[in-house]
Amino acid sequence: MNKRSKKVISKTVFYIIIVVIFVYMLFPFYWALNSSFKSENQLMQTPATFIPRDTDGNVSFYFENYKAIFRNNTFVISILNSTLVAGLTTIIALLIGSFAAFALGKLRFKGKKITLYLILAMTMFPQVTVLSGLYAMITTLGLSARPSMIITYLIFTLPFTTWVLTSFFKELPVEIMQSAQVDGATPFQTFYMILLPLTAPALVTTGLLSFIAAWNEYLFALTFTSVEPAARTIPVAIALFSGQIARQEPFGEIMAAAITVTIPVVVLVLIFQRKIVAGLTAGAVKG
Amino acid sequence: MKKRVPRSNLEKREQRLALKLLLPAFVVLALVAIYPLGDVLFTSFTDREFAGGEEVKTNFIGFENYANLLGITIVELPPVLDENENQVINEKTGEPEFERAVKVLPRDPHRYKELFQYNWFGKRYVVGARDPVFLKSVGNTLIFSLFSVFIETILGIFIALVVNSNFKGRGALRTTMLVPWAVITVVSARIWEYMLNPGTSGFFNMVLFRLGISDGQISFLTDPSWQMPSMIMVDVWKTTPFMALLILAGLQLIPKDLYEAAQVDGASGIKRFFRITLPLLKPTIAVALVFRTLDALRVFDVFQVLLGKKMYSMASYNYTQLINYRQMGYSSAVGIIIFIFIAIFAVIYIRMMGVDSK
Repeated sequence: MNKRSKKVISKTVFYIIIVVIFVYMLFPFYWALNSSFKSENQLMQTPATFIPRDTDGNVSFYFENYKAIFRNNTFVISILNSTLVAGLTTIIALLIGSFAAFALGKLRFKGKKITLYLILAMTMFPQVTVLSGLYAMITTLGLSARPSMIITYLIFTLPFTTWVLTSFFKELPVEIMQSAQVDGATPFQTFYMILLPLTAPALVTTGLLSFIAAWNEYLFALTFTSVEPAARTIPVAIALFSGQIARQEPFGEIMAAAITVTIPVVVLVLIFQRKIVAGLTAGAVKG
Repeated sequence: MKKRVPRSNLEKREQRLALKLLLPAFVVLALVAIYPLGDVLFTSFTDREFAGGEEVKTNFIGFENYANLLGITIVELPPVLDENENQVINEKTGEPEFERAVKVLPRDPHRYKELFQYNWFGKRYVVGARDPVFLKSVGNTLIFSLFSVFIETILGIFIALVVNSNFKGRGALRTTMLVPWAVITVVSARIWEYMLNPGTSGFFNMVLFRLGISDGQISFLTDPSWQMPSMIMVDVWKTTPFMALLILAGLQLIPKDLYEAAQVDGASGIKRFFRITLPLLKPTIAVALVFRTLDALRVFDVFQVLLGKKMYSMASYNYTQLINYRQMGYSSAVGIIIFIFIAIFAVIYIRMMGVDSK
């Protein structure tokens, strides 16, 4: 086999792998999309079809599921609520988390390990465990549902941002800090003028993952909005409008809503993915 | 008294700055974790019930909840003897017969139910537990975490490496990668539930039926031998993107010149992966592993939505005790046990990985 055909084969294999990954990642989502355009009869049809078809085999799309969810006021408001709650949670988690991560990753002080463990300890219990305790805390403070969610979501976003950012700060070469200090910068100046921009890929990545985690949270939202329906977030809204029709679960509508609320997140990823640029540190050390 | 003198002014300043920077995190920690956890710890020593209309008196019962959750006993099963004092052999299986576990397990003051049986030097023993369902949920969660995290890590590294190489459609794949993670967990569980339907209206049964592999009637969610693989499959799909994205970010911090140098030296692709990529990626993978494992040990949504009361994870058992049975004291004890369990696990795990070194 000559070198050229070897190259062609390896390239083909590579692209086959990529296609397999694409299909694997997207298939359930595609299945949801497919189901969201099916009427109740089409959903129950056996065997299931890859595109919405009637029993006679003709392709027929059913749009009523989408119309129904947008007629539903609770659902539309819930999109705004989720954006607000997830957005603010992410910003706070990144802010507090990057402060803590800089201290843990680059500064010298006593009790570093204990602090790391303490922060990690926040993620060691299932959310349902602290549910009753958190509820008591919120009632004591007299918080309304939206701030309650923002604060309590820090329980799972803050440890995550802190830990991941700490490991990134640690990886950054010490020379960068030293050279900045030689130039007369205070540690805090070094932090926000030099180190923080260098961790941009990590900030974007952790921010994105925190946002999605908050966007998806169900249990706390369900509990805290029980007395304040106007503050319901998307997962709660979807779960509740599935309960409104007692007869049967509106599966097509759930799928339509799932598709609708996934699109904003995909758009967000599209906007930010450019920020995840390769080789930022390599360039910084060289230059 | 000896006073510690900081070596330099700079170090002193750094210490003070570190404290200031950590303060907001500590405030949050106290508010959303320490206070509620303290409340739960206190409740776990009581027989409190969740608001049941009229006020029910709450009693302090010490460690009884814990004893009920963790209490186990081991009893030898006596063999079943015939009139000649020989052990009866089951005709169908050819195995020697033993008494039924219910007969030998203690009932007073606490009732023990069978957890599992085992043989030891020709004798048969039964392990009884006061709450076998809880202990089984611990086992389920461990098996689930082990397999799903392992598969996710391998897949995550693989996908991250593919996305990190240069090809057309790289951006599209990077976006695609996040779709499973972005779909709301409760909803994605529903999507899978629908795909796993018994009968050919479900996707998997339809495909297996079309391919002639099965009769298309597999009950993925009710057949005990299919439940765990189904859960692992759903979780792997949902959380591999998390792994892949973190590892990808780590990959991009590896200086390109290292690879160039290796290429000049004539190192093969596989060699480069094991000599350069993997060692430099280790800290990132370790952090990702810690988070994924802790996450998997707390798994709730998928078990709750897909299996309900058919099979429990630790967290879904906790939820059922709290919401369905309104046993606030008992469920608090479940939560505290899970917390201690995961904490011990985390410390050992982090030590092993060396995440906190340096």
